[in-house]
Amino acid sequence: MRTFRLSDAEFAALAAGRPTAATLGELRKAQLSRHLLLLREIGTVPAWYAGPDARHRLADPMTALHTAATLVARRAGSAPPPEHNSSARILTATHLGRTLRVRLEDTDPLRARLGLDPADPLDDAAAAAWQHHLEGAWRLLVERHRAAAETVAAVLSVIVPVHPDPGAGGISATSADAYGAVALSAPADATSLAVGLLHETQHSILNAVRVLFDLVRPSTELGYSPWRADPRPPFGILHGAYAYLAVTRFWRGEAARSASGETARSGDELASDDLGMGGHSQLAAFEFARWRAAVVEAADGLLASAVLTAAGRRFAGALRDEVLGWLDEPVPPVIGRLAAGANTEHRVRWRLENLTVEPATVATLVAAWRSGAAPPAVPAAAVRPATGRALERSDRLRLVHDLLRSERDQSLPPGSGVRPGTDAQLGENHRTGASAYLKNADARYLQGDHDGALAGYLAGLEEFPAEIALWAGVALTSPYRMVRERPELVRAVWRTLGVELRTVANWWQ
Amino acid sequence: MVDRTADDGTPEWQSPMVDVSGLSLAEIAAQAGDSVLAESIRRLAADLAEPGEPIAGFNSAL
Repeated sequence: MRTFRLSDAEFAALAAGRPTAATLGELRKAQLSRHLLLLREIGTVPAWYAGPDARHRLADPMTALHTAATLVARRAGSAPPPEHNSSARILTATHLGRTLRVRLEDTDPLRARLGLDPADPLDDAAAAAWQHHLEGAWRLLVERHRAAAETVAAVLSVIVPVHPDPGAGGISATSADAYGAVALSAPADATSLAVGLLHETQHSILNAVRVLFDLVRPSTELGYSPWRADPRPPFGILHGAYAYLAVTRFWRGEAARSASGETARSGDELASDDLGMGGHSQLAAFEFARWRAAVVEAADGLLASAVLTAAGRRFAGALRDEVLGWLDEPVPPVIGRLAAGANTEHRVRWRLENLTVEPATVATLVAAWRSGAAPPAVPAAAVRPATGRALERSDRLRLVHDLLRSERDQSLPPGSGVRPGTDAQLGENHRTGASAYLKNADARYLQGDHDGALAGYLAGLEEFPAEIALWAGVALTSPYRMVRERPELVRAVWRTLGVELRTVANWWQ
Repeated sequence: MVDRTADDGTPEWQSPMVDVSGLSLAEIAAQAGDSVLAESIRRLAADLAEPGEPIAGFNSAL
């Protein structure tokens, strides 16, 4: 019997986020094969298999999800999942001869198994809003990101609306058991939906690749992912890198388009207000600059570890190589500074929230300090056990986004002016007791006044030593390398010694 | 790094997963003794026994 195979060139192109139509065809066949083999394992032929649309049902992600759930339940001796109740809502978008057709799945009882809290069945107005945004997203993708649009059309067949996360701009999910289905919260606009579809399509593709090839060795190791606030397994980190490869490519195209001054054409004009872009060229450049670095960082981390198989190394390497060439593409300096800062802040927050420094390590460092010795090398901090999904939340990042969105406000050009916002507009960090320090220091940070911002963050830490937003601020604005690279160590030693943070941080310089 | 070379000399990656996409369930059942088929089923069963979490995330800038 034939087994699946991909040429090295096809495999590398797939890893680089540029799968050929033939490769996507192979992934689809692999999913059909998986579904058939799961049905064989169940041993009972479902009624739909004898129907005229059996081939269509075999390819349907929600049917495949039901089959997998049925087999798992059977093996566990538990009750089978409830029967299908598929939605009849079909969304179709056609532009320049390309069509995207998806089922808006708001009734299937298994839709919660995509990992997020599903929305209740939609009313007509809500369904119409999805249709409106899908048409805008599809126009954007077809006109400006044609290859990505072709990939989305070849993979995506079901959208499951989910409840939004109050703390996030948008949430989405996929399941390895439902190739081509994505769970999405209602998009704010066409651009958000386009990015979300690209992102989740990548997850679906990588799940399909995983059916064919083992990319990661079994491991209980957890590590840093630039997209999540919780510790992640290696395959989760690879998933993030692969999804953000497509997101980065999207913003690269949008940023380049803005930089070249290209305007929309009459007839096919994409009105920026319809897309939710509002002319945010600086936001596009920021997203591009931020995510290109994050993808390379994540791929580098995986490649430096021992968790990847030979296929996994080839995959991560080709993914990394694709983005590596983008690192040298110019972005405005102020955008580059803020993008690098966003990545630094995320990493510092993650370390402070997820790494534990052993008491013996702290004792070793404190003893060295007190004896006047140089800081000794110490073991890496331990990763705390995962406590569940956590997304990035940063009030400072929100201010950066607000600043970039305001580019048309000539009174607020990035780097020379900022409106810090009222307390009511600020998030949880800025409503704590540290809010006054953060508000003023963050405004200075956005202006590029790092010395002024650092003074504010340090003053805040004297009063609020546990405030992670203040620690992240010090990492962003100070010359102290260790506060950026191993903030958990600096914090632990500083708390024990009770001396000025500047003094302790300087010890490692 | 690739795990095999194709007949035409180009490097390629060979999956242990069998392609039964064009077969019916009855035809698959008739192949029950096939070792490649058995390996594919073993892999799928192992994945189902240790499912990963649904991959969720995405916090849109917009």
